[in-house]
Amino acid sequence: MSDALSQPMASNSFGTNPSSAEQHNAPLLQLVDITKRFGGLSAVKDLSFSLQQGEILGVIGPNGAGKSTMVNLIGGSLAPTSGTIFYQGHDINRLPPHRRARLGIARTFQLTQPFIGLDIRENVMVGAFFGQRGLNRTGASRVADEVLERVNLAHKATFKGSQLTIADRKRLEIARALATNPQLLLLDEVMAGLTSTEVAQAVELIQQINKMGVTVLIIEHIVHAIATVSNRILVLHHGQKIAEDEPSQVLSDPKVIGAYLGERYAKERRAE
Amino acid sequence: MAFGQILVNWLLLGSLYGAVALGVSLVWGIMNIVNLAHGAFVILGAYAAFWMYTQLHIDPYISIPLTMAFLFIIGWIVQYTLINRVIRAPFLVTFLLTFGLDLLIIDLVQQIFTSDLRSVNTIYAGSGLDIGSTHIAFDRLIAAAIAIVLTAALNYFLTHTREGNAILATGMDRDAARLMGINIRNTYALTFAIGAALAGAAGAMLAELYPFNPSNGDAFKLRAFAIVILGGLGSPWGALAGGLVFGLVETVVPLIPGVGPGYDDAIAFAVLVAVLIFRPDGLLGKPFYR
Amino acid sequence: MILRTKTAPTAKAPSLKQREERGWLWSLLLGLGILGLIATIPWFGDSSALHTWTLILMFVILAQSWNFIGGFTGYSAFGNVAFFGIGAYTTGLMLLSHQPFWLGLIADALVAALFAFLLGLPVLRLRGHYFAIATLGIAEALREFVAVRDIGGGGGGLMSLPLPSLDAYVGFFYAFLGLSLLCLLITVFLTRSRFGYALIAIRENEQAAEALGVPTYWYKVGSFVLSAVPTALAGGLYAYWATGFDPDTVFNVGISAEMVLLTYLGGSGTILGPLLGAIAFEYASFQLQTSGFSLHNTLLGLSIAIVTIFLPQGCVRLIQEFVRKPAPQSTSAHRLIEGVRRVRRFIAANGI
Repeated sequence: MSDALSQPMASNSFGTNPSSAEQHNAPLLQLVDITKRFGGLSAVKDLSFSLQQGEILGVIGPNGAGKSTMVNLIGGSLAPTSGTIFYQGHDINRLPPHRRARLGIARTFQLTQPFIGLDIRENVMVGAFFGQRGLNRTGASRVADEVLERVNLAHKATFKGSQLTIADRKRLEIARALATNPQLLLLDEVMAGLTSTEVAQAVELIQQINKMGVTVLIIEHIVHAIATVSNRILVLHHGQKIAEDEPSQVLSDPKVIGAYLGERYAKERRAE
Repeated sequence: MAFGQILVNWLLLGSLYGAVALGVSLVWGIMNIVNLAHGAFVILGAYAAFWMYTQLHIDPYISIPLTMAFLFIIGWIVQYTLINRVIRAPFLVTFLLTFGLDLLIIDLVQQIFTSDLRSVNTIYAGSGLDIGSTHIAFDRLIAAAIAIVLTAALNYFLTHTREGNAILATGMDRDAARLMGINIRNTYALTFAIGAALAGAAGAMLAELYPFNPSNGDAFKLRAFAIVILGGLGSPWGALAGGLVFGLVETVVPLIPGVGPGYDDAIAFAVLVAVLIFRPDGLLGKPFYR
Repeated sequence: MILRTKTAPTAKAPSLKQREERGWLWSLLLGLGILGLIATIPWFGDSSALHTWTLILMFVILAQSWNFIGGFTGYSAFGNVAFFGIGAYTTGLMLLSHQPFWLGLIADALVAALFAFLLGLPVLRLRGHYFAIATLGIAEALREFVAVRDIGGGGGGLMSLPLPSLDAYVGFFYAFLGLSLLCLLITVFLTRSRFGYALIAIRENEQAAEALGVPTYWYKVGSFVLSAVPTALAGGLYAYWATGFDPDTVFNVGISAEMVLLTYLGGSGTILGPLLGAIAFEYASFQLQTSGFSLHNTLLGLSIAIVTIFLPQGCVRLIQEFVRKPAPQSTSAHRLIEGVRRVRRFIAANGI
């Protein structure tokens, strides 16, 4: 598999787990004082955090807290009003989304939209063709089959996008992103609308992806799932960071309970 | 030409443009449909006025209510029976459909009235006010007044009547409007019919002011969109403002040395693309209908 | 991942896969067959058949190349006739300055490509309605420019070219045929290649395509140029073939609408759609014309209304729906009924 990255810290993420101390010191992704205003409204305000290689960071917060805006800022579909985003130590503020994708930043979309004119394998091949360099049709097809196997969609490789269930659409989103051979995977509500069994499968899938060396940033409303899967959790409220810590700490933080989780959740937790 | 005359010509032309663009702006803003048949509606209006003038001897300005009623009915039927069927289809489908209607209507008008140049010669044509060296033709002055009255009336209708509010609400959020008990099909038909009626009024003015033939509607096609985009899809007043700005551009550009007359569509195109790229919401800002 | 979701039996997958793989091949063979049949016309038909089919092939090319930008990339170019006109006038000017025809065609392709590129840079930043109107504007503005500057030299832009020799008309026919064959091959390439996948991805979801690493803007510009060149070449061939034309003919926006109609009638974004749509509509149109019905715009307008309202997905998709995976061991009568049912469902779901 070819490697699309030319940065010094680049490593092939599939199968190799980065372990050198140097890579663990410098963050893979760093947001510095990021603000995004739409008219008078600040969707994200003075947001700073960093993400280490190999981590899973969960992001929670009420609707309209700025979570998706944050993913759009990192992915490049939106430009920040102020602040800087560093990826592997480089300022990527000015890079368009496709350049970021080639550097190894992949993302899913909250509203899944398969390319319905293509079948499932071809959907994934788009990611392989453009996220990685120099693949021919056979190579892209092989990558697609590998990835589909991994997300358990291989048996539907020739289906059309319109024939998929919600859970399968979410898998397809992940598969397309994985086919770009990412270093960093941004997951925007990939569990919304799934049954509890499907959520468990998704959690397992994300852990597997992470074990292969992909750093994950995940936005989710299903608190128990995100608490299971994340190393750290960041809480957004009105576009600002109100907490960032280990899952257990964050979930018992009174500020977080007040802003997002609610008293009932806190009681249930204490009861457990 | 004297400066005063240029100013007067510009104001009169600009308000006529505003009248032509008014219906396009309404239909586009509310229904998100670019009505390429608008030019054909204008031509229908012109021929309706012409027919009433030659057969019934009614002055085109006096017969405007009748012309508008005629176009209102046609607009209602077209929307209710044709466009409503593709309203949820990709926009190119409605775009293509209205273009097809344009071809169809113009071809039919040509069959009925031939492609001869027609004109309405009222007794007061040519007379007007003379202020110093500046000539203000009565027929143009009346047209400008009608344009302003129509704009104000549409604005009042949208903001102060029940039906108008329903139209605005539908334009803002179709699904929410439906939940509030608004009949979307009827509201769309009403919107489209009003757009067609406004085109009819513009057509009557056209008949009064210029000689015309069936293919003249094309001249307004591109201009109307340039005007709407200039003014933004904001409000009836936006269309009028767009008309004035566009009238200014069209008055001034041929005066630039080396350009000369004849580039109306090129000007419209240049204005269109420039505005779309630099000020996508129009000169007046925020898209309000959408 | 060990967890299996409820699925179709895995045994079904390989057979399905084969069908998908063969779909494009069948379309290609069928397309080649149709073009092969048309190729025999100069032997069997008279001069009026040659004339008719030359023009039909021209519209086939126009529809096929509109399909690149409109069907694959999903950008509603409404001014592709501009490239037709540019091709006609460039070739015409070359001929008038006593250059050989082939050189005129090369210049024609280069000018159109350059023009599409430079124009694509601003207008492909626009979307939806705005893109459609802007491209419509290009065609109108060019028509006006050519007329006002009198590019043809015959007054109002009218251009008159030297008459080609009488036996050249079979040559024109085969040139159009060759060009439509080329367009067919390009279309097949688009359904199978990295470039084509990118265009389809842009059509379906530009933001997602961009996020997967597709430089969407440059691919859009690329497909615009790809669409412009065959259109312009058809214009160049038409210019010499017709010997006389004016801006109102070769920059007629109605031709743009016709390109869209033909593609929609056959099936936008499909391999055979533009070919079949163009042949069906133009052949019918010529038949009507010879039987005395001269209102071309009325016919065009009515057909547009019928196709957009009843058949926006096109005939090819209906046929695909009809032949799609019949249940194993069903009789042909069952398949027929099932196919008809599926088509009716399909129309109900996608039509009105």
